[in-house]
Amino acid sequence: MNADACRLQRPQRVYLLSADAGLKDALSALWGDGHLEITHFERGRGAIEVLFNELPDLLIVDHDLPDMPGLDVVNLVKSENVYRQLPVILAIREESLDQGADWCSAEVDDILILPSSAARMKVRIFLTITRASRAFDANPLSKLPGNTSIIQRIQEMIDRREDFALAYADLDYFKSFNDKYGFSRGDEVLMMSARIIVNTIRGFTGVRSFVGHVGGDDFVFILPPDKIELACQRIVENFDSIVPHFYDEEDRARGFIQSTDREGNMRTFPLMAISIAVVLNVGGRLQHYGEASQIAMTLKKKAKENPKSCYVLDKRLS
Amino acid sequence: MAEDLKLERKDQILAAKDLPTLPKVLDEVSRLVKDPDSSTEQIAKLIAMDQVLSAKVLKMVNSPIYGFPGRIGSIHHALVLLGFNVLRGVIVSTSVMDVMNQTMVGLWEHSVGCALASSTVARQCGLKDVEDISVAGLLHDLGKVVTSVQLPELKTGVEALVKTQDKSYLEAEKAVMGFGHDRVNAWLSDHWKLPPPIKEGMSYHHKPQLARLYPEVACCVHLGDFLVRVYEYGSGGDDNVPYLEPEALKKLKLKPADLEAVLDELSEKFLDIADLSFT
Repeated sequence: MNADACRLQRPQRVYLLSADAGLKDALSALWGDGHLEITHFERGRGAIEVLFNELPDLLIVDHDLPDMPGLDVVNLVKSENVYRQLPVILAIREESLDQGADWCSAEVDDILILPSSAARMKVRIFLTITRASRAFDANPLSKLPGNTSIIQRIQEMIDRREDFALAYADLDYFKSFNDKYGFSRGDEVLMMSARIIVNTIRGFTGVRSFVGHVGGDDFVFILPPDKIELACQRIVENFDSIVPHFYDEEDRARGFIQSTDREGNMRTFPLMAISIAVVLNVGGRLQHYGEASQIAMTLKKKAKENPKSCYVLDKRLS
Repeated sequence: MAEDLKLERKDQILAAKDLPTLPKVLDEVSRLVKDPDSSTEQIAKLIAMDQVLSAKVLKMVNSPIYGFPGRIGSIHHALVLLGFNVLRGVIVSTSVMDVMNQTMVGLWEHSVGCALASSTVARQCGLKDVEDISVAGLLHDLGKVVTSVQLPELKTGVEALVKTQDKSYLEAEKAVMGFGHDRVNAWLSDHWKLPPPIKEGMSYHHKPQLARLYPEVACCVHLGDFLVRVYEYGSGGDDNVPYLEPEALKKLKLKPADLEAVLDELSEKFLDIADLSFT
Protein backbone atom coordinates (compact mmCIF):
# COMPACT_ATOMS: atom_id res chain seq x y z
CA MET A 1 0.00 0.00 0.00
CA ASN A 2 1.11 3.55 -0.75
CA ALA A 3 2.90 4.93 2.32
CA ASP A 4 0.90 8.16 2.24
CA ALA A 5 -2.46 6.50 1.86
CA CYS A 6 -4.67 6.81 4.93
CA ARG A 7 -2.30 9.28 6.59
CA LEU A 8 -3.72 10.34 9.95
CA GLN A 9 -3.70 14.07 10.68
CA ARG A 10 -2.73 13.47 14.29
CA PRO A 11 -2.23 10.49 16.62
CA GLN A 12 -5.52 8.79 17.46
CA ARG A 13 -6.37 7.36 20.86
CA VAL A 14 -8.01 3.99 20.48
CA TYR A 15 -9.57 1.81 23.15
CA LEU A 16 -9.59 -1.83 22.18
CA LEU A 17 -11.88 -4.17 24.10
CA SER A 18 -10.94 -7.73 23.18
CA ALA A 19 -9.53 -10.87 24.72
CA ASP A 20 -7.70 -11.45 21.46
CA ALA A 21 -4.10 -10.31 22.01
CA GLY A 22 -3.30 -10.92 18.36
CA LEU A 23 -5.78 -8.20 17.37
CA LYS A 24 -3.90 -5.67 19.50
CA ASP A 25 -0.62 -6.52 17.82
CA ALA A 26 -2.19 -6.32 14.40
CA LEU A 27 -3.63 -2.86 15.14
CA SER A 28 -0.37 -1.52 16.52
CA ALA A 29 1.46 -2.57 13.39
CA LEU A 30 -0.94 -0.78 11.00
CA TRP A 31 0.52 2.73 11.12
CA GLY A 32 3.77 2.11 12.94
CA ASP A 33 4.96 4.01 15.97
CA GLY A 34 2.72 6.38 17.82
CA HIS A 35 -0.01 6.92 15.25
CA LEU A 36 -2.51 4.82 17.10
CA GLU A 37 -2.24 5.08 20.87
CA ILE A 38 -3.91 1.84 21.80
CA THR A 39 -5.23 1.14 25.27
CA HIS A 40 -6.05 -2.52 25.50
CA PHE A 41 -8.76 -3.96 27.80
CA GLU A 42 -9.28 -7.68 27.88
CA ARG A 43 -12.64 -7.46 29.59
CA GLY A 44 -15.66 -5.22 29.04
CA ARG A 45 -16.54 -4.28 32.61
CA GLY A 46 -13.25 -2.69 33.57
CA ALA A 47 -13.19 -0.64 30.40
CA ILE A 48 -16.55 1.04 30.83
CA GLU A 49 -15.64 3.27 33.73
CA VAL A 50 -12.38 4.35 32.09
CA LEU A 51 -14.30 5.09 28.93
CA PHE A 52 -16.91 7.21 30.69
CA ASN A 53 -14.20 9.31 32.28
CA GLU A 54 -12.05 9.81 29.25
CA LEU A 55 -13.26 9.38 25.71
CA PRO A 56 -10.84 8.07 23.09
CA ASP A 57 -11.04 9.00 19.38
CA LEU A 58 -12.19 5.52 18.45
CA LEU A 59 -13.57 2.50 20.26
CA ILE A 60 -13.09 -1.00 18.92
CA VAL A 61 -15.19 -3.63 20.66
CA ASP A 62 -14.93 -7.37 20.18
CA HIS A 63 -18.33 -8.95 19.67
CA ASP A 64 -17.28 -11.90 21.83
CA LEU A 65 -15.99 -10.45 25.10
CA PRO A 66 -15.32 -12.93 27.91
CA ASP A 67 -17.56 -11.20 30.47
CA MET A 68 -20.40 -9.57 28.53
CA PRO A 69 -21.78 -9.24 24.99
CA GLY A 70 -19.83 -6.68 22.98
CA LEU A 71 -23.06 -5.11 21.76
CA ASP A 72 -24.03 -4.29 25.35
CA VAL A 73 -20.96 -2.10 25.65
CA VAL A 74 -21.85 -0.41 22.39
CA ASN A 75 -25.40 0.25 23.53
CA LEU A 76 -24.21 1.68 26.79
CA VAL A 77 -22.03 4.22 24.99
CA LYS A 78 -24.51 5.08 22.27
CA SER A 79 -27.49 5.60 24.56
CA GLU A 80 -25.88 8.60 26.28
CA ASN A 81 -25.97 11.86 24.35
CA VAL A 82 -22.58 12.96 25.66
CA TYR A 83 -20.81 9.80 24.52
CA ARG A 84 -22.61 8.82 21.37
CA GLN A 85 -20.49 10.86 18.96
CA LEU A 86 -17.65 8.42 19.71
CA PRO A 87 -17.17 6.22 16.63
CA VAL A 88 -17.43 2.52 17.42
CA ILE A 89 -16.20 -0.42 15.35
CA LEU A 90 -17.43 -3.89 16.21
CA ALA A 91 -14.91 -6.68 15.59
CA ILE A 92 -16.80 -9.82 14.72
CA ARG A 93 -16.13 -13.26 13.31
CA GLU A 94 -17.94 -14.50 10.22
CA GLU A 95 -19.65 -17.29 12.23
CA SER A 96 -21.13 -14.79 14.67
CA LEU A 97 -22.44 -12.70 11.79
CA ASP A 98 -24.52 -15.65 10.67
CA GLN A 99 -26.22 -15.87 14.03
CA GLY A 100 -27.58 -12.40 13.46
CA ALA A 101 -27.60 -9.51 15.83
CA ASP A 102 -30.00 -6.69 16.48
CA TRP A 103 -28.16 -4.25 14.23
CA CYS A 104 -30.98 -1.76 14.33
CA SER A 105 -30.72 -1.10 18.02
CA ALA A 106 -26.93 -1.26 18.10
CA GLU A 107 -25.58 2.02 16.79
CA VAL A 108 -22.34 0.52 15.55
CA ASP A 109 -20.52 2.77 13.09
CA ASP A 110 -18.68 0.03 11.24
CA ILE A 111 -17.56 -3.59 11.54
CA LEU A 112 -14.31 -5.46 11.11
CA ILE A 113 -14.66 -9.08 10.06
CA LEU A 114 -12.04 -11.23 11.79
CA PRO A 115 -9.64 -12.40 10.63
CA SER A 116 -8.91 -9.45 8.37
CA SER A 117 -5.98 -8.43 6.20
CA ALA A 118 -3.89 -5.51 7.46
CA ALA A 119 -4.70 -3.35 4.43
CA ARG A 120 -8.42 -3.87 4.86
CA MET A 121 -8.25 -3.15 8.58
CA LYS A 122 -6.29 0.04 7.99
CA VAL A 123 -8.73 1.45 5.45
CA ARG A 124 -11.75 0.60 7.59
CA ILE A 125 -10.30 2.31 10.65
CA PHE A 126 -9.16 5.34 8.69
CA LEU A 127 -12.54 5.82 7.03
CA THR A 128 -14.38 5.45 10.32
CA ILE A 129 -12.22 8.08 11.98
CA THR A 130 -12.51 10.60 9.13
CA ARG A 131 -16.21 10.00 8.64
CA ALA A 132 -16.83 10.62 12.31
CA SER A 133 -14.96 13.90 12.30
CA ARG A 134 -16.83 15.07 9.21
CA ALA A 135 -20.23 14.11 10.48
CA PHE A 136 -19.65 15.33 14.00
CA ASP A 137 -18.28 18.71 13.10
CA ALA A 138 -20.49 19.65 10.16
CA ASN A 139 -22.95 22.44 10.75
CA PRO A 140 -26.35 20.75 10.92
CA LEU A 141 -27.98 23.32 8.65
CA SER A 142 -25.42 24.13 5.97
CA LYS A 143 -23.34 20.93 6.33
CA LEU A 144 -20.23 23.12 6.10
CA PRO A 145 -17.29 22.27 8.40
CA GLY A 146 -17.80 23.58 11.93
CA ASN A 147 -15.64 24.98 14.71
CA THR A 148 -13.29 22.07 15.26
CA SER A 149 -12.36 21.90 11.58
CA ILE A 150 -12.09 25.69 11.35
CA ILE A 151 -9.69 25.96 14.28
CA GLN A 152 -7.71 22.98 13.06
CA ARG A 153 -7.35 24.44 9.59
CA ILE A 154 -6.27 27.87 10.83
CA GLN A 155 -3.75 26.43 13.29
CA GLU A 156 -2.39 24.14 10.59
CA MET A 157 -1.77 27.09 8.26
CA ILE A 158 -0.20 29.13 11.06
CA ASP A 159 2.10 26.25 11.95
CA ARG A 160 3.19 25.89 8.35
CA ARG A 161 3.90 29.66 8.27
CA GLU A 162 1.71 29.92 5.20
CA ASP A 163 0.45 33.37 4.13
CA PHE A 164 -3.32 33.55 4.25
CA ALA A 165 -6.26 35.88 4.70
CA LEU A 166 -8.88 34.79 7.20
CA ALA A 167 -12.32 36.37 6.88
CA TYR A 168 -15.12 36.37 9.43
CA ALA A 169 -18.51 37.17 7.96
CA ASP A 170 -21.78 37.74 9.75
CA LEU A 171 -25.18 39.24 9.00
CA ASP A 172 -26.43 42.55 10.37
CA TYR A 173 -30.07 42.63 11.52
CA PHE A 174 -30.39 38.87 11.21
CA LYS A 175 -31.92 38.66 14.66
CA SER A 176 -34.69 41.12 13.88
CA PHE A 177 -35.44 39.26 10.64
CA ASN A 178 -35.67 36.00 12.59
CA ASP A 179 -37.89 37.62 15.21
CA LYS A 180 -40.29 38.92 12.63
CA TYR A 181 -40.39 36.05 10.11
CA GLY A 182 -39.58 33.04 12.29
CA PHE A 183 -36.54 30.79 12.38
CA SER A 184 -37.35 28.73 9.31
CA ARG A 185 -37.29 31.88 7.15
CA GLY A 186 -34.06 32.75 8.97
CA ASP A 187 -32.60 29.38 7.98
CA GLU A 188 -33.40 30.15 4.35
CA VAL A 189 -31.23 33.25 4.58
CA LEU A 190 -28.39 31.28 6.20
CA MET A 191 -28.52 28.64 3.47
CA MET A 192 -28.47 31.36 0.84
CA SER A 193 -25.51 33.12 2.49
CA ALA A 194 -23.60 29.84 2.75
CA ARG A 195 -24.14 29.21 -0.95
CA ILE A 196 -22.95 32.70 -1.95
CA ILE A 197 -19.78 32.38 0.12
CA VAL A 198 -19.00 28.84 -1.03
CA ASN A 199 -19.46 29.63 -4.72
CA THR A 200 -17.53 32.90 -4.55
CA ILE A 201 -14.59 31.23 -2.83
CA ARG A 202 -14.67 28.23 -5.15
CA GLY A 203 -14.60 30.67 -8.06
CA PHE A 204 -10.91 31.21 -7.25
CA THR A 205 -9.42 28.10 -8.76
CA GLY A 206 -5.97 26.70 -8.14
CA VAL A 207 -5.55 28.19 -4.68
CA ARG A 208 -5.91 26.78 -1.19
CA SER A 209 -9.21 27.91 0.23
CA PHE A 210 -11.65 26.98 2.96
CA VAL A 211 -15.20 27.83 4.03
CA GLY A 212 -16.61 27.03 7.46
CA HIS A 213 -19.80 27.76 9.36
CA VAL A 214 -19.17 28.71 12.99
CA GLY A 215 -22.89 28.60 13.70
CA GLY A 216 -25.89 30.88 13.42
CA ASP A 217 -25.07 33.75 11.09
CA ASP A 218 -21.28 33.46 11.55
CA PHE A 219 -19.18 32.18 8.67
CA VAL A 220 -15.43 31.90 8.09
CA PHE A 221 -13.46 31.70 4.88
CA ILE A 222 -9.79 31.52 3.96
CA LEU A 223 -8.06 32.60 0.75
CA PRO A 224 -4.59 33.77 -0.25
CA PRO A 225 -4.11 37.46 0.75
CA ASP A 226 -4.07 38.72 -2.86
CA LYS A 227 -7.51 37.28 -3.59
CA ILE A 228 -9.39 38.30 -0.49
CA GLU A 229 -10.50 41.81 -1.39
CA LEU A 230 -12.08 40.75 -4.67
CA ALA A 231 -13.83 37.89 -2.87
CA CYS A 232 -15.25 40.29 -0.27
CA GLN A 233 -16.49 42.63 -2.99
CA ARG A 234 -18.24 39.81 -4.82
CA ILE A 235 -19.85 38.44 -1.68
CA VAL A 236 -21.13 41.86 -0.64
CA GLU A 237 -22.48 42.56 -4.12
CA ASN A 238 -24.24 39.21 -4.47
CA PHE A 239 -25.63 39.25 -0.95
CA ASP A 240 -27.07 42.75 -1.34
CA SER A 241 -28.73 41.90 -4.61
CA ILE A 242 -30.25 38.60 -3.47
CA VAL A 243 -31.28 39.19 0.15
CA PRO A 244 -34.26 41.51 -0.58
CA HIS A 245 -36.03 38.54 -2.19
CA PHE A 246 -36.16 36.81 1.18
CA TYR A 247 -38.48 39.51 2.57
CA ASP A 248 -42.21 39.83 2.00
CA GLU A 249 -43.05 42.18 -0.79
CA GLU A 250 -44.26 45.08 1.39
CA ASP A 251 -41.12 45.03 3.53
CA ARG A 252 -38.92 44.83 0.48
CA ALA A 253 -40.71 47.80 -1.07
CA ARG A 254 -40.37 49.80 2.17
CA GLY A 255 -36.73 48.83 2.58
CA PHE A 256 -37.03 48.14 6.29
CA ILE A 257 -38.95 45.94 8.73
CA GLN A 258 -40.67 46.54 12.02
CA SER A 259 -39.76 44.21 14.82
CA THR A 260 -39.07 44.30 18.55
CA ASP A 261 -35.56 45.05 19.80
CA ARG A 262 -33.73 43.38 22.71
CA GLU A 263 -35.62 45.57 25.19
CA GLY A 264 -38.96 44.61 23.69
CA ASN A 265 -39.64 47.97 22.02
CA MET A 266 -41.11 48.21 18.54
CA ARG A 267 -38.42 49.49 16.19
CA THR A 268 -37.61 49.64 12.53
CA PHE A 269 -34.62 47.72 11.20
CA PRO A 270 -32.91 48.03 7.82
CA LEU A 271 -32.72 45.06 5.47
CA MET A 272 -29.98 42.59 6.33
CA ALA A 273 -26.40 43.32 5.30
CA ILE A 274 -23.22 41.29 5.45
CA SER A 275 -20.14 42.45 7.42
CA ILE A 276 -16.76 40.89 6.79
CA ALA A 277 -13.61 41.32 8.89
CA VAL A 278 -10.35 40.10 7.36
CA VAL A 279 -7.20 39.20 9.28
CA LEU A 280 -4.03 38.84 7.23
CA ASN A 281 -1.33 36.44 8.26
CA VAL A 282 1.72 37.46 6.27
CA GLY A 283 5.29 36.46 7.08
CA GLY A 284 4.28 34.30 10.01
CA ARG A 285 3.03 37.17 12.17
CA LEU A 286 0.42 35.04 13.92
CA GLN A 287 1.44 32.35 16.40
CA HIS A 288 -1.88 31.04 17.49
CA TYR A 289 -5.45 30.70 16.33
CA GLY A 290 -6.65 32.80 19.28
CA GLU A 291 -4.76 35.86 18.03
CA ALA A 292 -6.52 35.66 14.69
CA SER A 293 -9.98 35.51 16.19
CA GLN A 294 -9.18 38.33 18.60
CA ILE A 295 -8.02 40.67 15.84
CA ALA A 296 -11.07 39.69 13.81
CA MET A 297 -13.47 40.59 16.62
CA THR A 298 -11.94 44.06 16.91
CA LEU A 299 -12.22 44.58 13.17
CA LYS A 300 -15.77 43.32 13.14
CA LYS A 301 -16.84 46.08 15.52
CA LYS A 302 -15.50 48.51 12.97
CA ALA A 303 -17.35 46.80 10.12
CA LYS A 304 -20.53 46.82 12.17
CA GLU A 305 -20.46 50.61 12.53
CA ASN A 306 -21.56 50.68 8.92
CA PRO A 307 -25.21 49.55 8.63
CA LYS A 308 -24.63 48.62 4.99
CA SER A 309 -22.74 45.56 3.78
CA CYS A 310 -19.01 46.13 3.99
CA TYR A 311 -15.63 44.58 4.64
CA VAL A 312 -12.70 45.73 6.74
CA LEU A 313 -9.16 44.55 6.00
CA ASP A 314 -6.60 44.39 8.78
CA LYS A 315 -3.81 46.47 7.30
CA ARG A 316 -1.48 46.39 10.28
CA LEU A 317 1.91 44.88 9.47
CA SER A 318 0.75 43.79 6.07
CA MET B 1 -63.02 15.07 -20.35
CA ALA B 2 -62.80 12.39 -17.71
CA GLU B 3 -61.08 13.74 -14.63
CA ASP B 4 -58.88 10.66 -14.19
CA LEU B 5 -57.58 10.92 -17.75
CA LYS B 6 -56.64 14.53 -17.08
CA LEU B 7 -54.87 13.48 -13.88
CA GLU B 8 -53.00 10.77 -15.72
CA ARG B 9 -51.80 13.29 -18.30
CA LYS B 10 -50.82 15.70 -15.55
CA ASP B 11 -48.69 12.99 -13.96
CA GLN B 12 -47.08 12.19 -17.30
CA ILE B 13 -46.26 15.84 -17.85
CA LEU B 14 -44.84 16.36 -14.37
CA ALA B 15 -42.72 13.23 -14.77
CA ALA B 16 -40.56 15.16 -17.28
CA LYS B 17 -36.98 14.23 -16.42
CA ASP B 18 -34.71 15.44 -19.16
CA LEU B 19 -36.05 18.31 -21.17
CA PRO B 20 -33.97 18.70 -24.32
CA THR B 21 -33.11 22.07 -25.78
CA LEU B 22 -31.87 23.50 -29.06
CA PRO B 23 -28.15 23.09 -29.70
CA LYS B 24 -27.03 26.66 -30.30
CA VAL B 25 -27.35 28.18 -26.84
CA LEU B 26 -26.33 24.94 -25.18
CA ASP B 27 -23.08 24.83 -27.16
CA GLU B 28 -22.32 28.44 -26.43
CA VAL B 29 -23.02 28.02 -22.70
CA SER B 30 -20.80 24.92 -22.54
CA ARG B 31 -18.02 26.92 -24.14
CA LEU B 32 -18.39 29.80 -21.66
CA VAL B 33 -18.58 27.48 -18.67
CA LYS B 34 -15.25 25.93 -19.67
CA ASP B 35 -13.60 29.32 -20.06
CA PRO B 36 -12.16 30.41 -16.69
CA ASP B 37 -12.42 34.08 -17.70
CA SER B 38 -16.15 34.11 -18.32
CA SER B 39 -18.35 35.81 -15.77
CA THR B 40 -21.61 34.74 -14.18
CA GLU B 41 -23.30 37.76 -15.82
CA GLN B 42 -22.21 36.65 -19.28
CA ILE B 43 -23.50 33.13 -18.76
CA ALA B 44 -26.75 34.34 -17.19
CA LYS B 45 -27.40 36.58 -20.18
CA LEU B 46 -26.97 33.64 -22.52
CA ILE B 47 -29.07 31.22 -20.48
CA ALA B 48 -31.83 33.84 -20.43
CA MET B 49 -32.13 33.23 -24.20
CA ASP B 50 -33.12 29.61 -23.70
CA GLN B 51 -36.38 28.71 -22.00
CA VAL B 52 -35.41 25.13 -21.19
CA LEU B 53 -32.03 25.96 -19.62
CA SER B 54 -33.61 28.83 -17.70
CA ALA B 55 -36.38 26.57 -16.42
CA LYS B 56 -33.81 23.97 -15.38
CA VAL B 57 -31.65 26.29 -13.30
CA LEU B 58 -34.68 27.93 -11.65
CA LYS B 59 -36.20 24.55 -10.86
CA MET B 60 -32.94 23.41 -9.30
CA VAL B 61 -32.19 26.49 -7.20
CA ASN B 62 -35.78 26.54 -5.90
CA SER B 63 -35.74 22.87 -4.94
CA PRO B 64 -35.94 22.20 -1.17
CA ILE B 65 -32.42 20.72 -1.27
CA TYR B 66 -30.97 24.21 -1.42
CA GLY B 67 -33.16 25.35 1.44
CA PHE B 68 -34.98 28.40 0.04
CA PRO B 69 -37.78 27.14 -2.25
CA GLY B 70 -39.76 29.70 -4.23
CA ARG B 71 -37.37 32.60 -3.54
CA ILE B 72 -35.23 32.87 -6.65
CA GLY B 73 -36.65 34.20 -9.92
CA SER B 74 -33.53 35.68 -11.48
CA ILE B 75 -31.25 33.60 -13.69
CA HIS B 76 -28.22 35.54 -12.51
CA HIS B 77 -29.08 34.93 -8.86
CA ALA B 78 -29.72 31.28 -9.62
CA LEU B 79 -26.24 30.93 -11.12
CA VAL B 80 -24.59 32.69 -8.17
CA LEU B 81 -26.30 30.27 -5.79
CA LEU B 82 -25.86 27.10 -7.82
CA GLY B 83 -22.22 27.76 -8.75
CA PHE B 84 -20.26 26.67 -11.80
CA ASN B 85 -19.90 23.07 -10.66
CA VAL B 86 -23.62 22.45 -10.56
CA LEU B 87 -24.18 24.44 -13.74
CA ARG B 88 -21.61 22.29 -15.52
CA GLY B 89 -23.57 19.23 -14.40
CA VAL B 90 -26.80 20.68 -15.78
CA ILE B 91 -25.16 21.47 -19.10
CA VAL B 92 -23.59 18.06 -19.66
CA SER B 93 -26.79 16.25 -18.76
CA THR B 94 -28.98 18.30 -21.10
CA SER B 95 -29.68 16.61 -24.40
CA VAL B 96 -30.30 18.28 -27.71
CA MET B 97 -33.61 18.39 -29.52
CA ASP B 98 -33.90 17.31 -33.10
CA VAL B 99 -32.92 20.45 -35.01
CA MET B 100 -35.19 19.48 -37.87
CA ASN B 101 -37.99 20.32 -35.50
CA GLN B 102 -38.92 23.67 -37.06
CA THR B 103 -41.92 24.31 -34.81
CA MET B 104 -39.61 24.25 -31.81
CA VAL B 105 -37.23 26.75 -33.40
CA GLY B 106 -40.17 29.09 -33.93
CA LEU B 107 -41.28 28.60 -30.35
CA TRP B 108 -37.81 29.42 -29.01
CA GLU B 109 -37.74 32.67 -30.95
CA HIS B 110 -41.26 33.49 -29.88
CA SER B 111 -40.28 32.94 -26.22
CA VAL B 112 -37.17 35.12 -26.32
CA GLY B 113 -39.20 37.77 -28.13
CA CYS B 114 -41.91 37.60 -25.51
CA ALA B 115 -39.32 37.99 -22.71
CA LEU B 116 -38.00 41.06 -24.45
CA ALA B 117 -41.44 42.55 -25.11
CA SER B 118 -42.77 41.81 -21.59
CA SER B 119 -39.79 43.44 -19.91
CA THR B 120 -39.99 46.46 -22.23
CA VAL B 121 -43.63 46.91 -21.22
CA ALA B 122 -42.70 46.49 -17.55
CA ARG B 123 -40.01 49.17 -17.78
CA GLN B 124 -42.40 51.52 -19.57
CA CYS B 125 -44.88 51.04 -16.71
CA GLY B 126 -42.15 51.75 -14.16
CA LEU B 127 -42.53 48.36 -12.49
CA LYS B 128 -39.91 46.93 -10.17
CA ASP B 129 -38.62 43.38 -10.58
CA VAL B 130 -38.43 43.66 -14.34
CA GLU B 131 -36.34 40.49 -14.39
CA ASP B 132 -39.17 38.40 -12.88
CA ILE B 133 -41.40 39.64 -15.68
CA SER B 134 -38.80 38.91 -18.31
CA VAL B 135 -38.39 35.36 -16.97
CA ALA B 136 -42.17 34.83 -16.87
CA GLY B 137 -42.29 36.03 -20.49
CA LEU B 138 -39.52 33.64 -21.48
CA LEU B 139 -41.29 30.70 -19.82
CA HIS B 140 -44.87 31.60 -20.83
CA ASP B 141 -45.07 28.76 -23.38
CA LEU B 142 -42.92 26.24 -21.51
CA GLY B 143 -46.06 24.12 -21.06
CA LYS B 144 -46.11 23.61 -24.83
CA VAL B 145 -42.53 22.34 -24.80
CA VAL B 146 -43.00 19.97 -21.88
CA THR B 147 -46.25 18.63 -23.28
CA SER B 148 -44.75 17.94 -26.68
CA VAL B 149 -41.80 16.13 -25.08
CA GLN B 150 -43.93 14.08 -22.70
CA LEU B 151 -47.05 13.55 -24.82
CA PRO B 152 -45.81 13.78 -28.43
CA GLU B 153 -48.84 12.07 -29.96
CA LEU B 154 -51.17 14.68 -28.43
CA LYS B 155 -48.99 17.46 -29.77
CA THR B 156 -49.40 16.08 -33.28
CA GLY B 157 -53.17 16.13 -32.77
CA VAL B 158 -53.08 19.74 -31.57
CA GLU B 159 -51.02 20.84 -34.54
CA ALA B 160 -53.34 19.08 -36.97
CA LEU B 161 -56.33 20.82 -35.45
CA VAL B 162 -54.64 24.23 -35.69
CA LYS B 163 -53.96 23.59 -39.37
CA THR B 164 -57.32 22.15 -40.43
CA GLN B 165 -59.77 24.13 -38.33
CA ASP B 166 -57.98 27.45 -38.00
CA LYS B 167 -58.14 27.28 -34.23
CA SER B 168 -55.70 29.02 -31.93
CA TYR B 169 -53.12 26.72 -30.34
CA LEU B 170 -54.77 27.16 -26.94
CA GLU B 171 -58.22 26.24 -28.27
CA ALA B 172 -56.78 23.22 -30.04
CA GLU B 173 -54.99 22.09 -26.88
CA LYS B 174 -58.22 22.31 -24.93
CA ALA B 175 -60.07 20.36 -27.60
CA VAL B 176 -57.47 17.60 -27.84
CA MET B 177 -56.16 17.35 -24.26
CA GLY B 178 -58.84 18.92 -22.11
CA PHE B 179 -56.49 21.61 -20.83
CA GLY B 180 -54.19 24.25 -22.25
CA HIS B 181 -50.50 25.07 -21.78
CA ASP B 182 -51.46 27.77 -19.28
CA ARG B 183 -52.73 25.01 -17.00
CA VAL B 184 -49.59 22.97 -17.63
CA ASN B 185 -47.57 26.04 -16.66
CA ALA B 186 -49.41 26.24 -13.35
CA TRP B 187 -48.72 22.56 -12.64
CA LEU B 188 -45.06 22.90 -13.55
CA SER B 189 -44.46 26.03 -11.50
CA ASP B 190 -46.10 24.46 -8.45
CA HIS B 191 -44.20 21.24 -8.89
CA TRP B 192 -40.89 23.05 -9.38
CA LYS B 193 -41.59 25.62 -6.65
CA LEU B 194 -40.98 28.61 -8.88
CA PRO B 195 -41.58 32.01 -7.22
CA PRO B 196 -45.25 33.16 -7.18
CA PRO B 197 -44.81 36.16 -9.57
CA ILE B 198 -43.33 33.88 -12.24
CA LYS B 199 -46.05 31.31 -11.69
CA GLU B 200 -48.77 33.90 -12.17
CA GLY B 201 -47.19 35.33 -15.29
CA MET B 202 -46.87 31.84 -16.79
CA SER B 203 -50.33 30.64 -15.80
CA TYR B 204 -52.43 33.73 -16.52
CA HIS B 205 -50.91 35.18 -19.67
CA HIS B 206 -54.07 34.29 -21.61
CA LYS B 207 -56.46 35.71 -18.99
CA PRO B 208 -54.51 38.33 -17.06
CA GLN B 209 -57.71 39.81 -15.64
CA LEU B 210 -58.03 36.72 -13.42
CA ALA B 211 -54.57 36.90 -11.85
CA ARG B 212 -54.93 37.52 -8.13
CA LEU B 213 -51.51 38.01 -6.57
CA TYR B 214 -49.34 39.53 -9.28
CA PRO B 215 -51.74 40.86 -11.92
CA GLU B 216 -49.09 43.26 -13.26
CA VAL B 217 -46.81 40.35 -14.16
CA ALA B 218 -49.62 38.50 -15.96
CA CYS B 219 -50.64 41.70 -17.79
CA CYS B 220 -47.09 42.45 -18.97
CA VAL B 221 -46.63 38.90 -20.26
CA HIS B 222 -50.04 39.02 -21.94
CA LEU B 223 -49.08 42.22 -23.69
CA GLY B 224 -45.62 40.88 -24.49
CA ASP B 225 -47.13 37.77 -26.09
CA PHE B 226 -49.43 40.01 -28.14
CA LEU B 227 -46.63 42.32 -29.27
CA VAL B 228 -44.20 39.60 -30.31
CA ARG B 229 -46.96 38.15 -32.48
CA VAL B 230 -47.64 41.57 -33.98
CA TYR B 231 -43.96 41.77 -34.95
CA GLU B 232 -44.16 38.19 -36.24
CA TYR B 233 -40.95 37.23 -34.50
CA GLY B 234 -40.86 33.44 -34.12
CA SER B 235 -44.06 31.48 -33.79
CA GLY B 236 -46.28 30.43 -30.89
CA GLY B 237 -47.66 27.50 -32.89
CA ASP B 238 -50.43 29.22 -34.81
CA ASP B 239 -50.79 32.37 -36.92
CA ASN B 240 -54.07 33.59 -35.53
CA VAL B 241 -54.58 37.24 -34.84
CA PRO B 242 -53.98 37.37 -31.12
CA TYR B 243 -56.55 38.72 -28.73
CA LEU B 244 -55.62 41.72 -26.63
CA GLU B 245 -57.42 41.88 -23.30
CA PRO B 246 -58.39 45.54 -22.70
CA GLU B 247 -58.28 44.93 -18.91
CA ALA B 248 -54.53 44.39 -19.20
CA LEU B 249 -53.91 47.87 -20.58
CA LYS B 250 -56.19 49.34 -17.96
CA LYS B 251 -54.48 47.51 -15.09
CA LEU B 252 -51.06 48.63 -16.28
CA LYS B 253 -52.41 52.19 -16.76
CA LEU B 254 -50.93 52.23 -20.24
CA LYS B 255 -52.08 55.08 -22.42
CA PRO B 256 -51.88 54.91 -26.23
CA ALA B 257 -48.87 57.24 -26.14
CA ASP B 258 -47.04 54.86 -23.78
CA LEU B 259 -47.82 51.97 -26.03
CA GLU B 260 -46.35 53.86 -28.96
CA ALA B 261 -43.13 54.33 -27.03
CA VAL B 262 -43.05 50.59 -26.35
CA LEU B 263 -43.62 49.83 -30.02
CA ASP B 264 -40.81 52.15 -31.10
CA GLU B 265 -38.41 50.64 -28.64
CA LEU B 266 -39.36 47.12 -29.64
CA SER B 267 -38.90 47.78 -33.35
CA GLU B 268 -35.26 48.50 -32.64
CA LYS B 269 -34.80 45.61 -30.25
CA PHE B 270 -36.34 43.09 -32.60
CA LEU B 271 -34.01 44.29 -35.32
CA ASP B 272 -31.11 43.66 -32.96
CA ILE B 273 -32.10 40.07 -32.25
CA ALA B 274 -33.36 39.32 -35.77
CA ASP B 275 -30.08 37.66 -36.76
CA LEU B 276 -30.04 35.51 -33.65
CA SER B 277 -30.25 31.94 -34.76
CA PHE B 278 -31.22 29.00 -32.62
CA THR B 279 -29.97 26.20 -34.78
